[in-house]
Amino acid sequence: MLRAFKFNIRSKIVIGYFLILICLGVSIVTVTDRIEALQNEVETITTRDVEIHNLIASIQYDAISMETAQRGFLLTGDESYLAPYNKGVSQWEANYNSLYAYISDNPSTKKELEEIKVTIQDWIIKAGEPTIAMKKQGMEDDIIAFFQNDVGKQQMDDLRTKFDAIGNQEVQSTKLHIIDLENKNRLLTIGIYVLLLIASIISFMIVSFVSRSIVKTIKQVVSTITEIASSGGSLATRIHVNTKDEIKELGDATNQLLASLEAQSWIQSNVAEMATMTQGINNIELLAQSFLTKVAPMVNATYGVFYIRRGTGDQQRLEKLASYAGSGEETGKVSIRFGEGLVGQCALEKRVFLINQPKEQAPLITTGLVDFEPRSVLMVPIEYEDRLEAVIEFASLESFTSLHLKLLEEIEKDFGIAVNNVAGRMEVERLLSESQVLTEELQMQQEEMRMTTEHLEEQYLIAEQKTKELEKAKEELEDYSEQLQKSSQYKTNFLANMSHELRTPLNSILILSQLLAENENQTLNEDEAGFAKVIHTSGTDLLKLIDDILDLSKIEAGKVILTVDEVNLTEIPELMKLTFNPIAEKKDIAFVIEMDANLPNVWYTDGQRLQQILKNLLSNAFKFTDKGSVQLRFEHTSQDMLAISVTDTGIGIPKDKQKLIFEAFQQVDGNTNRLYGGTGLGLSICSEFVKLLGGSIELNSTIDKGSCFTVYLPQLSQEKLDSILLAQQEAAAAAELMAAESEVLEQEMIQQITENARTSEFAGKKVLLVEDDARNVFALVHALESKNMQVTVAGNGKRCLEILRSESDFDLVLMDIMMPLMDGYETMREMRKDSQLQSLPIIALTAKAMKADRDKCLEAGASDYISKPLQMDQLFSLMRVWLTKQVGN
Amino acid sequence: MDHDALDMSTDELPVSEWESIEIELLIEGLYRAYGQDFRHYLRSSIRRRIRNRMCMDGVATVTELLGKVLHEPDYVNKLVNDFSIKVTEMFRDPSFFHAFREKAVPMLRKLPEIRIWHAGCSTGEEVYSMAILLHEEDLLDKARIYATDMSEWAIDQAKSGKFPLKRMQAFTKNYLHAGGSKEFSGYYSTDSDYAIFNSSLADQMIFAQHNLATDSTFNEFHVILCRNVMIYFDPELQNRVHKLFHDSLSADGILALGSMEYLIAPWKQHYEELADGERLFKKKALER
Repeated sequence: MLRAFKFNIRSKIVIGYFLILICLGVSIVTVTDRIEALQNEVETITTRDVEIHNLIASIQYDAISMETAQRGFLLTGDESYLAPYNKGVSQWEANYNSLYAYISDNPSTKKELEEIKVTIQDWIIKAGEPTIAMKKQGMEDDIIAFFQNDVGKQQMDDLRTKFDAIGNQEVQSTKLHIIDLENKNRLLTIGIYVLLLIASIISFMIVSFVSRSIVKTIKQVVSTITEIASSGGSLATRIHVNTKDEIKELGDATNQLLASLEAQSWIQSNVAEMATMTQGINNIELLAQSFLTKVAPMVNATYGVFYIRRGTGDQQRLEKLASYAGSGEETGKVSIRFGEGLVGQCALEKRVFLINQPKEQAPLITTGLVDFEPRSVLMVPIEYEDRLEAVIEFASLESFTSLHLKLLEEIEKDFGIAVNNVAGRMEVERLLSESQVLTEELQMQQEEMRMTTEHLEEQYLIAEQKTKELEKAKEELEDYSEQLQKSSQYKTNFLANMSHELRTPLNSILILSQLLAENENQTLNEDEAGFAKVIHTSGTDLLKLIDDILDLSKIEAGKVILTVDEVNLTEIPELMKLTFNPIAEKKDIAFVIEMDANLPNVWYTDGQRLQQILKNLLSNAFKFTDKGSVQLRFEHTSQDMLAISVTDTGIGIPKDKQKLIFEAFQQVDGNTNRLYGGTGLGLSICSEFVKLLGGSIELNSTIDKGSCFTVYLPQLSQEKLDSILLAQQEAAAAAELMAAESEVLEQEMIQQITENARTSEFAGKKVLLVEDDARNVFALVHALESKNMQVTVAGNGKRCLEILRSESDFDLVLMDIMMPLMDGYETMREMRKDSQLQSLPIIALTAKAMKADRDKCLEAGASDYISKPLQMDQLFSLMRVWLTKQVGN
Repeated sequence: MDHDALDMSTDELPVSEWESIEIELLIEGLYRAYGQDFRHYLRSSIRRRIRNRMCMDGVATVTELLGKVLHEPDYVNKLVNDFSIKVTEMFRDPSFFHAFREKAVPMLRKLPEIRIWHAGCSTGEEVYSMAILLHEEDLLDKARIYATDMSEWAIDQAKSGKFPLKRMQAFTKNYLHAGGSKEFSGYYSTDSDYAIFNSSLADQMIFAQHNLATDSTFNEFHVILCRNVMIYFDPELQNRVHKLFHDSLSADGILALGSMEYLIAPWKQHYEELADGERLFKKKALER
């Protein structure tokens, strides 16, 4: 019924309250009415009963007053006593009538009352009036007589009894009345409660109805809202209210709110989506493409282009980076200047351009089948910190709504940051990798430079080493030459002594053998004389040999003293002829001496040595020539040299032996010696003398045709001679050594350099061995010292620290871990506290191969570790690493 | 940050247009005449290396260098050798090897055999490092390490397994920081200049010349290490190499890059990072 009227909440409440008020009013009126009735009744009862009692009392009193006044008058005869009597007579009937009026409704009481009236009337008639009349008439006796038979008294008593009865009756009736009232009272109370109950029920019904109708719609709204809230904010749900009250209004308002929230949340979720989309993208093109792919559907755009700003200042351009639904490369201009066209203008002004229904030839939106013309075109600038980063252009077949614009506005804010971030990130990554490239290149270059430097250093080192070696060699040579000189001196002395000592007995032999051979006394037979001759010849040969050796040794020892003087060349041929003519004649060989025409007469040289040379050469020539001639020829060459040639027609010297023959004790072959005799020292001595005189000797020879020795001699002065002599001496000393050892020396030098290099990382290195086990110490010290290392041993950590305190130039420390007093860990920690020992390599010698122990070692400051029992090869490898100077890093 | 205004030319010399043209010609010449493809190498790096070479050989212009390259065939090797930057060390970036031990080794342990490709191994320091790591993890026996570099010289160096003594202290420190569990000194012997690594380490190594710019893949690998190589490439070549690697990696294969390198955008989605900041990536299962 209500539904038909569609009350609003206010009228519902008003009506409800109104109904309740009516209920209450009715109850109150009813109750008041009842109370009033009751009150009246109570009042009635009270006044009537009181009146009755009063009337009864009054009548009684009147009766008694009349009696008393009658008696007083009768006694005294005083008329004044009659006043109450008269009053009583006049009053009692009125009182009686009043009483009767009250009581007439009660028949029993009425009857009694009538009896009382009769009695009182009886008394007045029978007792009162007669007696008073008697008195007045003075009939005392009558009076007395009357009292003796007192009728009045009986009546009075009767009256009294009747009054008592009626009094009791009235009390009884009052009691009845009260009970009756109480009953009525109770009924009233019950009635009030009943009314209250009814009113309450009615009120409750009204309230529940009204409230139900209100709450029902509210609950509907609430449940809808809860639904929205619980369903994770599906803001698309709307509230439906059937009533036409304020709830409906509330619902509508809420729906509006929801719509706005939905729009807001759409924007926010899209913005958030964009924000998450941009995360993790570190490529600007990908970002642009993702942006278009995401945003275009959001704003119902069917076509989109992303332009990014490139360049700065006047060079700022917009470059197309990505497109949405674009037909390949053609969609949109590739590069746009600022201010050029609307896109350029948008970039310049940094504001949004929205054009609806562009009339110009807008780019077509192409589907597979048809081309559309867009209805609306939108250009949005993307900014970061007031600087334009990009422009996005969208075209749509529909108009862009304000919601779309708002969305783009929101997205634009964050996206500017994203674009900047991505660009920044790309740049940072690029820079990082570029810096890595640079670093590596620098390292490489450094390495190359280092290599070059090292190479140079190495070469320098080798050069230095070589210089050193050379110096050493030179020193050695000097030593050698000194020694040699000394030994040569000894040799000479020895030879001189020897020859002297030899000569003395040899002389005796020669003289005696000659005497024997002459056999003047003919005491020897022919054979014996022959033997003596052989002894003499051999002795002579021996003497000659001794002389030659002596000469040679003197020359080699530089002991020959040359004296330069004028040599008269013209004298020489005579001297030679004197010596060699006999031999020539004996061997039947021609001996020819030729003197060049332009030969000076005088030549400055050592004449004695010159003669010796000539004698040697000539004797040689005669020795090896059996037939033909020996020619001696003097010439003065154009180089101002004296050329003396000795030419023979002897056996000649083969080409390969021509050099050898100048060496001591060399002849063409072993047979030669036997065939021709001689010591083989002659040519050597010759050659040496020629050298001494600053000249040279040449040989031309053909086998079986003969030989030609040519000696070239310069003019000499004493100074020149001295210098030659000195050089000769040195050369003499060195020659032997050099010849023999030069090759060896070089080899040795190279070997030594490499040898040095091989041992250099160990040789001379100072190693501190911290170890308590004597056996290990012995083994290690032995091994290390074998590599030329200087080993110092510390028996424990404390000792190690003490040693390091006094000498800190150790190259490496070998540290045992398990030691008494102070173990290896603690020692290393202590050592590393000292700033000077920070970089000193410490190799821990760990007993166990546990990784934890090693970590502990490293933590304590060890550079590396090696576990026991030690492999010596491994230890040396390790030590090489830690003793090698490092590069880089 | 003004990312457009930055030019990476930190060299003292400005980059002239002519020089750029000359460098292009030189690179083109190298490619056309000898098939040496540096067309996608970072120009700035190539330029610096060229300048360095010019400075060392007293060559005045790049064109002159081109002349030398074209007419003195031996000179090519010199220049190509210049272009390959051989900077490496054993257990380079120890934390990387530490991460490899922790993250990659458990994965490798499950495999019946392990094929590892060290692309751009340079002089081989890291190849030996990897062998040592695998040895300590008892994986070396079932592993094959393919070590390639474009420089023949570098490959020869790597094959020798010799590294200069004067860098060994740094290598030792790296080894210790990389979580080495044995004694580094147990892996080498020494002569006066070099630490010579035990030949048993090289048993599983295969060295070959391979150019990432031109050559294709040659096997399927469980691990590919290419550390600080692609930093010299332009994005196009990087992309090519990434494709090559992705194609060469087995399912769940591991790709390791250098500390300053990043997965470029298109490939990022195909990998997941195994260890934070260590450039250790796991190939994702094929997307359908």
